[in-house]
Amino acid sequence: MSVNRHRPHVWVLPEDDANRQLAIEFLVEVDSYLQAGVLQPAGGWTKVLETFKSVHVVEMQKYPDRFMVLLIDSDDDIGRIAYVKTEIPGHLAERVFILGALSEPEDLERAGLGSYDDIGAKMAKDCREDTDTIGGHELLRHNARELDRLLQDVRPILFPSI
Amino acid sequence: MQVQDLGRGRTDVPMRFELDVELGSSTYTYVIAFEIPAGGEELRVLEEKLAINGDLVYTRKMADVRLAKNGRVKEATFPIDSQLVALPIVQQHSIKDPSWEFQQWLARMVILRPVPSLILGGSTKETLRPIPDGTNFAAWFSGLLASAPSAYAKIDEYLKQVLPDLKEIKNPVVGKEARSLSVEFSNKNGSLDLPFENLSDGEKCFMICALVLAANEVYGPLLCFWDEPDNYLAPSEVQHFVMALRRGFRSGGQFIATSHNLEGIRSFSDENTLFLYRKSHLEPTIVRRVAELRKGRNFVGDLSEAMVRGDVEP
Repeated sequence: MSVNRHRPHVWVLPEDDANRQLAIEFLVEVDSYLQAGVLQPAGGWTKVLETFKSVHVVEMQKYPDRFMVLLIDSDDDIGRIAYVKTEIPGHLAERVFILGALSEPEDLERAGLGSYDDIGAKMAKDCREDTDTIGGHELLRHNARELDRLLQDVRPILFPSI
Repeated sequence: MQVQDLGRGRTDVPMRFELDVELGSSTYTYVIAFEIPAGGEELRVLEEKLAINGDLVYTRKMADVRLAKNGRVKEATFPIDSQLVALPIVQQHSIKDPSWEFQQWLARMVILRPVPSLILGGSTKETLRPIPDGTNFAAWFSGLLASAPSAYAKIDEYLKQVLPDLKEIKNPVVGKEARSLSVEFSNKNGSLDLPFENLSDGEKCFMICALVLAANEVYGPLLCFWDEPDNYLAPSEVQHFVMALRRGFRSGGQFIATSHNLEGIRSFSDENTLFLYRKSHLEPTIVRRVAELRKGRNFVGDLSEAMVRGDVEP
């Protein structure tokens, strides 16, 4: 069955294949996996923005129960996420979340956080249990504010029994 | 096993299987090799071995089986027909015997390459052993419910998620439609009772998936090998279908799928994806973990795009 578009649901748009793997391993651990999905990697953070604006803005307007998570690497550019946020139309901003590694996901592996399977599973555990086993890492801690919003709005979709 | 199972027609090279299986707290190592004797036309067992947690249970060379000394069991040898596998013959002391557990696991392995158009809803008996093309689906359904009636709840739970208008699956034991599966759908506009054979190919795959998930829970842990589970599905269903199977095997058992479907392949990480590649019919298939291929820069970027370009070379 496809995602039910008339109930709250989440699409993840990853920048690249590494982010896609993190997202898919996160999704394996999600209770309500039928209301979430991972899209094809966009091919770079500018492509994420481009695809978001050309496709998903229209779709999100059509489907008010749709939430989107954009997975973008900052490549050590601390202002990138802030810039991308300014490009999200104001009326959709509450339903769009921008997350990603401070550099790139490969560095999460190199930093000893485990394989993408491990990292995705730990992220899901943090989301489910509102813990901080991985989110506090220096490569991820800049996501704190977005994660707070995510916990409030998206966690009930992914983990409805909590 | 048959002669035609020998790789690339190489009848001069033995066909060897090695299994390392972790079940509960025990690790099983099982090896078996087949060969064709000179001038012969049928396979025979060349060697065989079973070890549990590194301790030999038995070894076998051709027709000679040697039971290892184990606790009160003395070392012993006995002959066996060279065309018979020794594993089912080696006597277990009880169902608590670890080798019994291993044999059960082997016997319950689920290998699927369903052909939905051939799957009808009738059955004359019950089984816990589905055949790969799925044509004994109804017998498997009956056998599963006979061995654990609670399995229906699990089947129903999954199917109602993916087919929200499903009401129930019927398999009457008496009457004109006895032992013939039908599926009732209903919504506020009414209801529809469909013979199982009239379901779409994709719907039949959902039914099989429900049985796999229930079987793993009821009499698992199972190894389920499904050849192209994403066949017959709509693009919007593939990721969720694979996810259901991956999630169902998280707490026990093992799910292995082959796929050419990009959406199906994208439902796994590099770490748990193997890439199979064969240059020609005369060379062996190379199997490499995608994570290794990426590290070795055998391809760069998105795996599925690299596959479309044909740029993944182990």
